[in-house]
Amino acid sequence: MRTTHKMKKPEKINLVPILDAVFIFIFFLLMSAQFVDVYEIGSKLPMTKEADRDENKEPLNLTVEVKKDEIIIKTGLRTVKTKKFSWEDEALINSYLVDLKNKHQDENTVIVRADKKVSFQDLVKAIDLTQSENEKLFEQIVFDNQGAK
Amino acid sequence: MKKRFQRRKMSNDVDVDITSLLDILTILLVFLLQSYNSSDLRLDLVKNIDLADSKVREITKFAPVLQVTKESEVFLNNKSIGRLPASGSMDELTVALKNQRDLTAKDNATKTAKQKHNEELINLVFDKDMDYEVVQRVMNDSAHAGYSQFKFIVKGNY
Repeated sequence: MRTTHKMKKPEKINLVPILDAVFIFIFFLLMSAQFVDVYEIGSKLPMTKEADRDENKEPLNLTVEVKKDEIIIKTGLRTVKTKKFSWEDEALINSYLVDLKNKHQDENTVIVRADKKVSFQDLVKAIDLTQSENEKLFEQIVFDNQGAK
Repeated sequence: MKKRFQRRKMSNDVDVDITSLLDILTILLVFLLQSYNSSDLRLDLVKNIDLADSKVREITKFAPVLQVTKESEVFLNNKSIGRLPASGSMDELTVALKNQRDLTAKDNATKTAKQKHNEELINLVFDKDMDYEVVQRVMNDSAHAGYSQFKFIVKGNY
């Protein structure tokens, strides 16, 4: 007797349910897609509160003055230290602010004072400099509207 | 001769090659997943607004959206309020913002603590060439309407 063994055809994977799920997923993603990546910069209105700090320690009182052609960084309350930078000195400004942060770990507020004719893009650029990408510098932004010229 | 006119046997199941379709779907899926933003804010920019570029990567949150175009036209939640005056505050804007705040408060009353929206938060969208003077005036009007937390909407640059 001669027996013949028929080769079994390899079974195919049923892709239909996977494809259904993928289609639904793509539809959901397409509906919720935003093709411009938008983010936010937060700022709160300044509020007064009782200072709970060492009287002998001078507060940082970090103020960034944004002008059309330069950025002025002021520190201190009783004795004000002023440092001027041009817009091209991004690395210098950043290292100066990192240095300030290292000396005043508990401070996280920056007061922003801008000239009236400064563009919104320049203002955002100045704020960006106070917010480092890798480490948290001065997250709390307060606008000084009284001092704007 | 007979062989020539012999009918071919029809196979029962027709195989469609979907490999290329799957390739496209995978690419589309990767692209969409990459551009997915988990923010609950839906931002429809009005005409004539070019967002400022920024390095910040803080994801936007749901709040009323106030947009100011290059021509100083003001939109609250995509509804036109009018044009900003050359100087001073804009009364229509303060009124519209107060109404919006009341609406949010009313809406919050029916929601659980977890679902409630921050009533003091407002998203501000300005054109990148806008003078700080305008930004300052809009912030003042928003503060008068009871908004104390401002979020500037910016475009992520890479």
